[in-house]
Amino acid sequence: MTFATVLPQAIGGFLAAGGGEEGGTNIEIGHHVTREWFGFTVNIDTISSTVIAGLIVLILGFVLRSRLTKADDHVPSKLQLIWEAVVSEVNRQVEDNLGKVHPYVAPLAIALFFFILFANWLELIPSKLNDDSPHLLAAPTADTNLTYALAAVTIISVWAYGIRTKGVKGYFSHFLQPFPVLLPLNILEELVKPITLALRLFGNIFAGGIMLALIGLIPIWASWAPNILWKAFDMFIGGIQAFIFSLLTVLYFAMAGAGHGEHDDEHEEADSKTPALAH
Amino acid sequence: MTGAVIQLLPMAAEGEGQSNFLVPNFTFLVELAAFGLLFFLLAKYVIPPINRAMTNRQEAIRTQFAELEQARSDANAAEAEFKAQIADARHEAARIREEAREQGAQIVAELRQQGETEKARIVESGHAQISAERQQAVASLRAEVGTLATTLAGRIVGESLEDDERSTRVVDRFLADLDALESSKASSTGGAS
Repeated sequence: MTFATVLPQAIGGFLAAGGGEEGGTNIEIGHHVTREWFGFTVNIDTISSTVIAGLIVLILGFVLRSRLTKADDHVPSKLQLIWEAVVSEVNRQVEDNLGKVHPYVAPLAIALFFFILFANWLELIPSKLNDDSPHLLAAPTADTNLTYALAAVTIISVWAYGIRTKGVKGYFSHFLQPFPVLLPLNILEELVKPITLALRLFGNIFAGGIMLALIGLIPIWASWAPNILWKAFDMFIGGIQAFIFSLLTVLYFAMAGAGHGEHDDEHEEADSKTPALAH
Repeated sequence: MTGAVIQLLPMAAEGEGQSNFLVPNFTFLVELAAFGLLFFLLAKYVIPPINRAMTNRQEAIRTQFAELEQARSDANAAEAEFKAQIADARHEAARIREEAREQGAQIVAELRQQGETEKARIVESGHAQISAERQQAVASLRAEVGTLATTLAGRIVGESLEDDERSTRVVDRFLADLDALESSKASSTGGAS
C-alpha cells in the first residue's frame, strides 16, 4: 500500500504516456503471502519458491548422479560438464585459500552457488499477461529470511571451522590482533560479515524484482525490449551474486583459518567488489 | 533503496498487517532447515560422485598418456634395436668378408708353404736317394775295384796278389787317396764358387 504506491507515483510522471491501468497499478513490494504455522508467521511464497529452486538443484544433481554411474567411457555429458565446471572451480578456490579441498567447505560453497543461482533465476519466469504480479514466482532470495538463513549457515560454519582449526584460544586471540584496542571492531566485523552477505544478495535480487515490476507498468507493446534487456542483465546479476556469495564464503573460511595479515587484504577485495556489482 | 527503507520502517511500526521485510520471521527457520537438507543431500549424494568421476577421468587420461608415452618409448627402443641389429649385421658381414679374405690368404699361404715343404722334401729325398745310390756305387766299387785291380796287377807282375790282407790294404790306400783327391777337388771348387 504505502511504499508500494509511492514508488510508482514517483516515476509515474514519465510512464504516464504509456497510460497505466485505470484505478492505479498496485505493485506489491516486500509483500509476502503469509500463513500461520504453529502460531508463527511464515512467508509461504518464499517457502514454495525455495522448494522449487531446491528441487531443481536436487533433480539436476540426482539426474547427473544416475548418469555418472553409467558412464564408463569417461566422456562427460553436458549436464556433467556444467556441474564439473562449478565443482572444479570451487575446489580450486577452496584449495587455493584453505590449502586443501576441505570436505565441508567445498560442498557448502557448491550447494550455495547452485541453490542461489536457481533461486535468483526463478523470478525470470514471466507471469501471465495482464497479471498484476511481474513474475510467476518471486525469487526466494528476494526475501531476507532466506538470505539470513544462508548467511547464518555460512558464518556459523566459518566460526566452527576457525575454532576447530586454531583452537578456542587461538581463534579468540585473533580478535585482539593486531592491537587489543581493535577488539570491538574485530567483533563488529565478524557480525558485519553475515549481514553483508545476506543483504547484498537480498538487495540485488530484490532490486531486480522492483525493476521487473516497474517494467511491468509499461504497456506490453513497449515493455518487451526493456523486459528482455533487464531479464538478460538480471540473469547475469543472479549468476554474479551466486558466485560472490560462494566465493566470499570460501574467503571467510580462509580468513578464519589463517592469520590476521591477509584478513584485511581480502576484506578490502571483497568490499571493492560489492559496490561495483550492487549498482 | 534508502528511500524504500525509510518508507518501510514507519509502516512496520504502524503495524498495518505487513511486517518489515528486513526483519526475519519464522520463515528463517524453515529456510534454514530447507537449505540444510539441500546441503546435506548434495554433499552426501551428488558432489562426491562428481569428484570421483573427475578424479577417475583425470586418472584415465593420465594412464592413457602414460601408455602412449610407454608405447612411444617402446617404439623408439624397437627402432633403435632394429638399427643396432642392422649395424651389427653390417659389421658381421664385413667381418665375415674380412675373415674369408684372411682365410683365403692363409689357405694360399699354407698351400704355398705346403708346396715349399713338399718341394724341399722331394728335393731332400732326391738328394738322399742320390747319396744312397752313390754310397751303394762306392761300396760296390770298393768291392769290385779291389778284385779287378789285384787281378789286373797280378797279371801284370805275374805274382799272385791273392793275399787278401795285403790286397785289401792296397786297395784301401788307393781308395783313400782317391777320396782325398776328390774331397780336395770339391773343396777347391766349393771355395771358388
